[in-house]
Amino acid sequence: MIEVHDLKKTYRDRTVLDLPALSLAQGETLALAGANGSGKTTLLRLLAGTLKPTAGTVKTAKPLLYLPQKSYAFRGTVLQNVLLGTQGKKQQAMELLEKLELLPFADKKASSLSGGELQRLSVCRLLIRPCNLLLLDEPTSACDPQSATLVLQALEAYRKETGCTLVLSTHTPRVALEAAGRLLILRDGKPEADGAPQALLQSPDSDWLRAFIAGWRI
Amino acid sequence: MDALKQALHLLFSLDPELLQILGVTMRMSFFSTTISCLIGLPLGALIGTRSFRGKAFLKKLIHTLMGLPPVVAGLLVYALFTHYGPFGRFNLLFTVRVMVIAQCLLIIPVVTGLTASFMEQSTRAVIDTAKGMGLSRRRVLFLCLSESRTSLLSVVLNAFGRSIAEVGAVSIVGGNIQWKTRVMTTAIMLETNKGNFSFALALGFILLLIAFVVNVAASFVVREGHDD
Repeated sequence: MIEVHDLKKTYRDRTVLDLPALSLAQGETLALAGANGSGKTTLLRLLAGTLKPTAGTVKTAKPLLYLPQKSYAFRGTVLQNVLLGTQGKKQQAMELLEKLELLPFADKKASSLSGGELQRLSVCRLLIRPCNLLLLDEPTSACDPQSATLVLQALEAYRKETGCTLVLSTHTPRVALEAAGRLLILRDGKPEADGAPQALLQSPDSDWLRAFIAGWRI
Repeated sequence: MDALKQALHLLFSLDPELLQILGVTMRMSFFSTTISCLIGLPLGALIGTRSFRGKAFLKKLIHTLMGLPPVVAGLLVYALFTHYGPFGRFNLLFTVRVMVIAQCLLIIPVVTGLTASFMEQSTRAVIDTAKGMGLSRRRVLFLCLSESRTSLLSVVLNAFGRSIAEVGAVSIVGGNIQWKTRVMTTAIMLETNKGNFSFALALGFILLLIAFVVNVAASFVVREGHDD
């Protein structure tokens, strides 16, 4: 569940996010899109609570999990990374690693993984924990198409299992179409379009939106 | 070459004065490094990971103090601990203790500044990732320290290197008194002034040897960190 009212984030004179309202029911899925600097990461960080709003209110379901845009490998092996802060979940961790095709690396140092592998590991680290709200900042940006499919399948399975609300940002229309039932497109920190991904992509209702969608890699 | 031979002779003959000077040097460096790190590491970690009013000014002040000339630090401590100074009653002037205090004045800003810069640059990702995983505050702090231990150890070794090689402050407040406050650097300065260049060079080689051992330890620590 998410309830946002009159949310604003400004840095000195620059308003990076100005969102009058956003409401998501439990179990709903939302994809955020927009050009670089449009406010996607800011919105996710405000929802995650790692950033304080300049104005407005944010109410979210708890517990929530948040995947930052930049993946980070903690010291230790891939398996140790997944098990960090958990107890008695080794079997579940192995299954997750297998789902995301990381099992052969389970005993390898996490720092030795490639960018795409590390991103899948970061997703694994979250999916081993239960939550009511899952926030993901470009979870497939470093993945090849096959790996992206694995991530999206794992996310869908997790969402079905936990019934959590899912919000993710993306630059890929495929991710928006496959992972979300709703697409919010931001432009200079403000909502430009909000609706079903398929409908928005097929019939954009403004010149800017048409140009933006035309620029997407379909 | 003569100086190198003399250095080896001094070391292997276990010259009592040299051993005493080495002892004072190591004792002083150990205490000044330990105290500076006990204060500077947590302070630097706080400055590096928190946002607060006046942070930019505080960082500028610390960076300025990082370049504090040792003789100025020595003079300041001398003025504080001289017989007529505010702390004169403690009778600490020309003791190893006051040398440690003067060195702390020099090293605390270095440890604080380096720790703050490092924490600011590298722990953001650790904090964001760990918080995103829903880990407890204590766990996040533990991860920050654990993830930065290699760099924090480098800061400690850097502080030790600065302490052991420092001469300006310790010569002013310590007085370079034989069998009491003479350390390697002040002994080198004295022997040079006496024109005893080969002996001064011999002491220099020994100091270099200590610095080398410290550096080998540092690179070992860094390699260990990468191997984790």
